[in-house]
Amino acid sequence: MAKITAGVGSSHVPLLGVAVDQGKWQDDYFGPIFAGYEWTREWEKAEKPDVVILVYNDHASAFDANIIPTFAIGCGESYKPADEGWGPRNVPDVEGHADLAWHIAQSLILDEFDMTIINEMDVDHGLTVPMSMMFGQPEKWPCKVVPLAVNVVTYPVPSGNRCWALGEAIARAVESFPEDLNVQIWGTGGMSHQLQGPRAGLLNREWDNKFLDALEADNDDVRHIPHIEYLRETGSEGIEMVMWLIMRGALGQKVKRLHRHYHIPCSNTAIGHIVLAPA
Amino acid sequence: MKQNIHEYLAELEDIPGTRIYTAARARKGYWINQFAMSLMKGDNRERFKANERAYLDEWKISEEAKQALLARDYNTLLDLGGNVYFLSKLFSTDGLSFAEAVSTMTEYSFPEYRDMMLKGGRSPEGNRSIKGGY
Ligand SMILES: [Fe+2]
Repeated sequence: MAKITAGVGSSHVPLLGVAVDQGKWQDDYFGPIFAGYEWTREWEKAEKPDVVILVYNDHASAFDANIIPTFAIGCGESYKPADEGWGPRNVPDVEGHADLAWHIAQSLILDEFDMTIINEMDVDHGLTVPMSMMFGQPEKWPCKVVPLAVNVVTYPVPSGNRCWALGEAIARAVESFPEDLNVQIWGTGGMSHQLQGPRAGLLNREWDNKFLDALEADNDDVRHIPHIEYLRETGSEGIEMVMWLIMRGALGQKVKRLHRHYHIPCSNTAIGHIVLAPA
Repeated sequence: MKQNIHEYLAELEDIPGTRIYTAARARKGYWINQFAMSLMKGDNRERFKANERAYLDEWKISEEAKQALLARDYNTLLDLGGNVYFLSKLFSTDGLSFAEAVSTMTEYSFPEYRDMMLKGGRSPEGNRSIKGGY
């Protein structure tokens, strides 16, 4: 039986990919950020997940303005890093787990989550940056990935409550997959940042840390935070944090925090990550 | 739990210095964003760079938006329905980092903006609500 053994919430700032690719991760600017991820990289080496369900958003890379799926699941065999205008990142292709992905997709639809299914797409920094942060620079990624892309760009984006419920449904789907698999779920994006308009550059250390506290709590209060609170408190792009709730919902009511790290700034953004296990 | 769409949308307009990318903006800016998306392809970037005006004239974009694109006036483009993730294709065509392009939408020069970020970023204090002023 497949099982979700842990969840990770993490920022996916593109500049972190640049830092890895250009070997700048030990300099004064990036050093403290990468130091925060060191524990998690070691932990991942020991955990050896077979598959990561990687919740992220596409930033106008695979999807243009034409088609806007709210929840889309990648059911393909493999995915190439996207060219985001600077040429594709020099990282390995991402290997999918088509059997598990199709199983989850079918289960979710029967469970009344009407997923969009994607067979072919390129994956952008939203997916490849967390891979680099957790796994460093291997020749080949150490696990397979089921990409789960969420619309957090065009409003209305899905509610926190819906994201949490989707996470619960994903956990049920994984548990009914017959093969023995060690599965992790990652929710990525955030934390506070705003990339547009005269208010750009907004960061909110206090709110971000309250959000991390809420993820550790033995209750599901965090699913009820309305969009407007993310937007007012954490900037227009802080809304990406709703994606962390898919991860959190998949872990059940009680969790144990294994690691947590927060740093300001990385480019325009507050960097945070948290590692949780079902308790 | 379920919110009335009109109330929901009204709240989104109550954030200072922010243009939430609502369906209304997505409709208005559709071709601005699709134009920007076309710059993902190398040949399109070359054609655009060779003659920006001629390339823009191939798209169903208003004259006002074309002027804003030529001037890289990103705040006006947000008003016209541009979205920053799409417009970022224009940033990279210009060889500008995301942070530098973002700084042009604020009251600061790029060095000043970078400095603000190093000092902890812009405070949410007084920046949360237009009506509420908090
Ligand atoms: Fe993002």
